[in-house]
Amino acid sequence: MRKTILFSIAALVIFSMLLSACGSSDKPAPAGATEAPAAGQKVTLKVLVHQNPPMVEFIEAFNKKFTEKNPNIAIDLAVVNANDLSTVTQTRLTANDVDVVDIFGFANAAQPYMKNVDPPNWQTLIQAGYLMDISDQAFIKNYDEATIKDAGSYDGKVYAINLGRVSYSGIYYNKDMFTANNVKVPTTWGELVTACETFAAAGTPCMTAGGKDGWPIFVGAYGLTGALYPDQSALVEGLWTGSIKWNDAKALEMWEKMKVYAQTMMEAGASGIAGDAAPGRFASGAVAMFPGGTWYASAIEAAEPTFEWGYIPFPGSDNAEDNKYLFGKYDQGWAVAAKTPNKDAAMLYLTEFSEAANYQAFANAVGFIPTQATATLDTQIGKEVAPYLANFRVGYEQYWVAPKGSGQYANPFASYFKPFGTYDSAQELADKVQADLQSGLDANK
Amino acid sequence: MNGYYFGQGRARWSPYLLLIPGILIYFLIAMGPSLATTIYSFTNATGIRGAPIQWVGLDNYREFLFMGQASLDNIAALGRTLVFCFFVTTIQFSLGLLVATLVNQRLKGTNFFRTLFFMPVILGAVIQGLIWSLFLYPLGGPMAKILEFFGTSSEFFGGQPSEAFAWVIAVQIWANMGTTMIIFISGLQTIPSDMYEAAKIDGASSWQVFKNVTWPLLTPSVNTNLLLNIIGSLQAWQLFLVLLGYRNGTQVLGYLIYATGFGQTSGSVTSSFRQGYAAAASIILFLLVLVLGLTAQTLLARREKRILG
Amino acid sequence: MSTLTTTKSPAIIGGTKHNKVNWAKILSYAVLIIFAIIYAGPLLMLVNTAFKTLPSFMKDAVSITDSLNFKNFVDAWNKANFPRYLTNTLIYTVSATLVYLLTAVFVAFPIARGYVKHANWILTMFVIALFLPPALIPQFQLMLGLGLYNNPVGYIMLFLTNPIGIVILVNYIKSVPKELDEAAALDGCSYFRFVLSVVFPLIQPAIATVAVLHAIGIWNELILPTIYLTSQEYYPITRGMIVFQGVYGSNWPTLAAAVLIMVLPMLLFFLLLQRYIISGLTQGAVKG
Repeated sequence: MRKTILFSIAALVIFSMLLSACGSSDKPAPAGATEAPAAGQKVTLKVLVHQNPPMVEFIEAFNKKFTEKNPNIAIDLAVVNANDLSTVTQTRLTANDVDVVDIFGFANAAQPYMKNVDPPNWQTLIQAGYLMDISDQAFIKNYDEATIKDAGSYDGKVYAINLGRVSYSGIYYNKDMFTANNVKVPTTWGELVTACETFAAAGTPCMTAGGKDGWPIFVGAYGLTGALYPDQSALVEGLWTGSIKWNDAKALEMWEKMKVYAQTMMEAGASGIAGDAAPGRFASGAVAMFPGGTWYASAIEAAEPTFEWGYIPFPGSDNAEDNKYLFGKYDQGWAVAAKTPNKDAAMLYLTEFSEAANYQAFANAVGFIPTQATATLDTQIGKEVAPYLANFRVGYEQYWVAPKGSGQYANPFASYFKPFGTYDSAQELADKVQADLQSGLDANK
Repeated sequence: MNGYYFGQGRARWSPYLLLIPGILIYFLIAMGPSLATTIYSFTNATGIRGAPIQWVGLDNYREFLFMGQASLDNIAALGRTLVFCFFVTTIQFSLGLLVATLVNQRLKGTNFFRTLFFMPVILGAVIQGLIWSLFLYPLGGPMAKILEFFGTSSEFFGGQPSEAFAWVIAVQIWANMGTTMIIFISGLQTIPSDMYEAAKIDGASSWQVFKNVTWPLLTPSVNTNLLLNIIGSLQAWQLFLVLLGYRNGTQVLGYLIYATGFGQTSGSVTSSFRQGYAAAASIILFLLVLVLGLTAQTLLARREKRILG
Repeated sequence: MSTLTTTKSPAIIGGTKHNKVNWAKILSYAVLIIFAIIYAGPLLMLVNTAFKTLPSFMKDAVSITDSLNFKNFVDAWNKANFPRYLTNTLIYTVSATLVYLLTAVFVAFPIARGYVKHANWILTMFVIALFLPPALIPQFQLMLGLGLYNNPVGYIMLFLTNPIGIVILVNYIKSVPKELDEAAALDGCSYFRFVLSVVFPLIQPAIATVAVLHAIGIWNELILPTIYLTSQEYYPITRGMIVFQGVYGSNWPTLAAAVLIMVLPMLLFFLLLQRYIISGLTQGAVKG
């Protein structure tokens, strides 16, 4: 027994020595070395992205082409779960172990009217000097002005290029089912209600969503909120200053409509459907409509390629003119580590990525609404949203920062209603939501 | 009682010297960072090197425990944590003991049963979650069909908070009973079989054998299991993450701390780096576990002295 | 060594009447079978999922698969780069567990025996470690400062401490009679040799239990390698499986197949160690 133990220890020690020998050759480059590599010198560009299969697939193909074109640059692509991206970005930037990072569009900044809120993670990174200022790079001109200004700038300087918008306030609808039941595509709330009643009478559930995951329900109703409060940044300011309350008359209208949405329009059993099962369910023809974001388009097409569907803004208002907006957010983008030793390689990578042809291929592969003015919307979802693009607005979710101390109900979430949550009365819920928010506002006076 | 037999003088140092590597590593890997966490909890540290840090004293604790409705939600989570701990510990402990004694009888197929009950531990929390999401699928899933057979139904994890919470308790017990079981099994091995023989000869019933022979001699494993159970269930969060996500009315402290540390609290969708605040929250949970855990440890140690001398 | 196999089962079976023995046995089996169903049922869902095709899973996640889609396993093996990453996981798990066990027994033994001053305080310290909050970022900063970032040795070091093991070992060692120590010392055995050659074998069940629990923790760990092992050559298999996870949905069938493959070595390890977990205390050692 003793001999075995001693032997194992010896083997272990040898193992570790071997491993550390292998390990030390891969230590991160010293910080501060910003010299351009001499022509021909091998460089490894470290790129970090979050997991999103069509996007990762595209980037792997792009990296291959890039390496062929620039043989002295090797690319090390690391993929992490979207939930871990923020933490891993933080650790890798601190350790100077990454060159190009995938970063979501800059959102939820602390506004002047917000008291005692913490800056968002991207702002902290910038202020601590971890993201490189790329204001003087040529490739940022490939992107439209709004993108650079709204999703990649801070304090007058540019730190990230954003690669695409997504909309989350629309409804997918089953074209064949609508024609079969002689239902008009709804442009007002009243029409939506009638449409659902018609389907119900015909024995078809009206809507589905991934109720089990929680968020698909309230995200699905973002359009409802948006139709009633078209200027979402003003909404957020109003909530903070007190000029808008979640239980005033207008908000009550919103809650009443959300109740109908959650309890009448959503199919029974939606609370048991997993988020990633919902697109398949819609594509199989089980329901007439599917409120959700533009990102589901590829899943729907993959589930049923011949399926005929359309996408419209969620008609939350009784006035058709109010229902022509699409609300959404800036999704992923690229930023560069300020302390990277491979600045030139990183800039070259971004330049190539931003070239019109490459970018167009990317946007198509991932299904983003493009952020380059020259790009066209070739996908089905692209065609569906095209008429509303001029009215694309950043949504509430990207502006809202809760005051510290506010309760967990301080949000306009349709999922608070039964069967997804615990509330049945719109008035009761409205009062609870406002009370939770007020508690935070009062704590920070 | 504390006599040392292996020598005097220099030889007396052996235990200390051989103990040191373990203690050193423990301090370095575990204690050190936890002490840092404690210090962080009194600051507004972001966790980003180079970002400014200021001492804020008890502000983080005040925020977690007293500020606005959020603190009431936190305290509700604390309450839920205690409820979770109580149910999971009592049921998991009892079932683990039951199964261990049954399996210890060397019936045919014991190996199979032992392995089967331990499988969830081998699989880990994420897979346990996947398995139960499928098994408790509301629309036509296996459990749904079984409940239908008995004339009831359940919305499982999509249902009202208390219902979903109850199911998480069930899954937690299912997942961890295996660990309780093998600790009891190894404990049962320390009981010499001649004690059972002697009791049998004296004409004791099986219940009396258990009460007077097995149970007292199992005291060390009982202590281990109770301690690990209590602590484990107080800190649990992984199943909550996988099965429920961020659902109002279901969170326990462990989950809240995870969410805060990874920036997923409902303040905003873009996380903020709030290392200081997250540290304070985790210290609060630590204090809760400390109080309950040390109390348990002391009571159990006293009982052990009483029983085993 | 083990004297338990010849005696009739302890505990439940009392009495000598023929029917009594049968009833107890039947009851035991009945209870065990009920538990077995409760355990096997959900586990079979995993196996079922691993054999489904993705479209069939998307359509109906819980239906019984109509074909044995072994392709999932082949895909899982290739796409997740099993050979390389599984080897890494093996190296990390084996080395960390071995070193940990060694240091742990030398910590637990003197505490259980009271051979070091303030043994109770030391034990309490370890027990407190059970309560400790997760300290991901401070630990990261420490490891970075020590130069152990993105380094397999550094990664293994993270697993060289485990208070659960100490608690299990201390409690188990208490059931080893102290007379043994005295006897061995009288025979001229040194402390080190005594622990290594006498104690280790005697506490086999506890060591096996701790080994299994510790190894499983390392084997299934995902967050730590995500942060600490950023070079692909160091990835353990849990990192490799990320290829099956999507943002809004994952390739569950292939993921399930990958999980079944990944679980196999740990399952074998447990089967192997079961023998030791149930092997008894050598009653002969004291009498002899």
